[in-house]
Amino acid sequence: MQSYVSLTLSNISIERGERDLCKGLSVVAQFGRLYQIVGENGAGKSSLLKVIAGLLRPVEGEIFLDDKVIGAAMNQWPQDCLYLGHQYGVKRLLTVEENIRCYCPNASRENIHSALAQLDLLPYQNTPVKQLSAGQAKRVALSRLWLSDQAIWLLDEPFSSLDVKGRALLESKLEQQLKRGGLVILTTHQALLRIDAQSIELTL
Amino acid sequence: MTYVSFLRAECHLVWRRKQNMVNSVLFFLLVVVLFPLGIDATPMFLSKAASGIIWCAAALAILTSVESLFKEDYHDGSLEQWLVSGLSVPILVLIKMALHWLFIALPLLLLSPVLSEVLYLPDNSFWPLFMSLMLATPSLFLLGGIGSAVTVSLRQGGVLMLLIVLPLYLPIIIFATSVTKAAQVGLPYDAPLAILGAIFFVSLVVSPLMTAISIKASVN
Repeated sequence: MQSYVSLTLSNISIERGERDLCKGLSVVAQFGRLYQIVGENGAGKSSLLKVIAGLLRPVEGEIFLDDKVIGAAMNQWPQDCLYLGHQYGVKRLLTVEENIRCYCPNASRENIHSALAQLDLLPYQNTPVKQLSAGQAKRVALSRLWLSDQAIWLLDEPFSSLDVKGRALLESKLEQQLKRGGLVILTTHQALLRIDAQSIELTL
Repeated sequence: MTYVSFLRAECHLVWRRKQNMVNSVLFFLLVVVLFPLGIDATPMFLSKAASGIIWCAAALAILTSVESLFKEDYHDGSLEQWLVSGLSVPILVLIKMALHWLFIALPLLLLSPVLSEVLYLPDNSFWPLFMSLMLATPSLFLLGGIGSAVTVSLRQGGVLMLLIVLPLYLPIIIFATSVTKAAQVGLPYDAPLAILGAIFFVSLVVSPLMTAISIKASVN
């Protein structure tokens, strides 16, 4: 994993349709910390994550990784960034293992095995995802956190449809990512139990 | 994600959805069979109309299957993952289209000898017909992909997609049928074939780029 110091959002303004979301937002996000984007429904939490991931071009403003400008058309950036959106790209017709192999082709058999064991997915390794529950499908998507080593994680509602055990598991994984110097930016409506989150406030 | 792992996952996916292949083949067969029943089943008429019938049926079968090329990827969030994967989206698009061409258009090509016998196509026109199908069905896929990507985020995008794509299909169908028309009266048919080849190469270059741009716009 490459190490960085900070990700800076400078004067970001986002527009969706006719509405302005987060006008002139500036945040310096330090690596090794977790940032929670908070705001009401429709305040632009997911849009802000998409802007950081490079999926959406902001109307105004720039994003810096350390002191390098990264825009919506970046090349180096995606290798260091793992984005899981509201729909997280898990194929319902593929089995759990085929899904994981598509996104993490370099993961070894043992690593996949241990990640699946931690996520309680081992019995379902060769089951098509469409036969799993919503929470289990979410776990399949989240297994990428166990198997890849990006420095920046952008997670949109990662806790939705997870049970209590799953939440605890994910929180401990997020803690590990912070300990090894990674950056986590996420949106969630629930309070994190174990991690001290910095919040990025969005108002309508 | 790498190109190889993407290709492998897509292969698994088209294999799990083999009923799509069966559907388009059945559709193709039905159109070809219904035409003579509806108009005139005499060898006199059919031998003249055969290449046109086969071509229309193939174009319609491809059009109906290409419409939903990116639908599922859009709804399950895979398109977003393509964009953040750091891989070149035009190449991913090209891989996907090539794979679908293999699974949908190749069965139609393999059926064409049987159908041209059924429709009394003169022997000297079969190879021109086969070559025109071979050269032009990839263009149908490539151009259809653009329409499919443009309308992927719309709920009722099917009709709009047809409106966008059909004008692009017209020259292909015109030149493809003129290949066999020329062959039937014993004229050289190299020129329309060459134009079909040119259309294929242009769409091979343009379509993945346009499709990638449309995907980017649709995801937002």
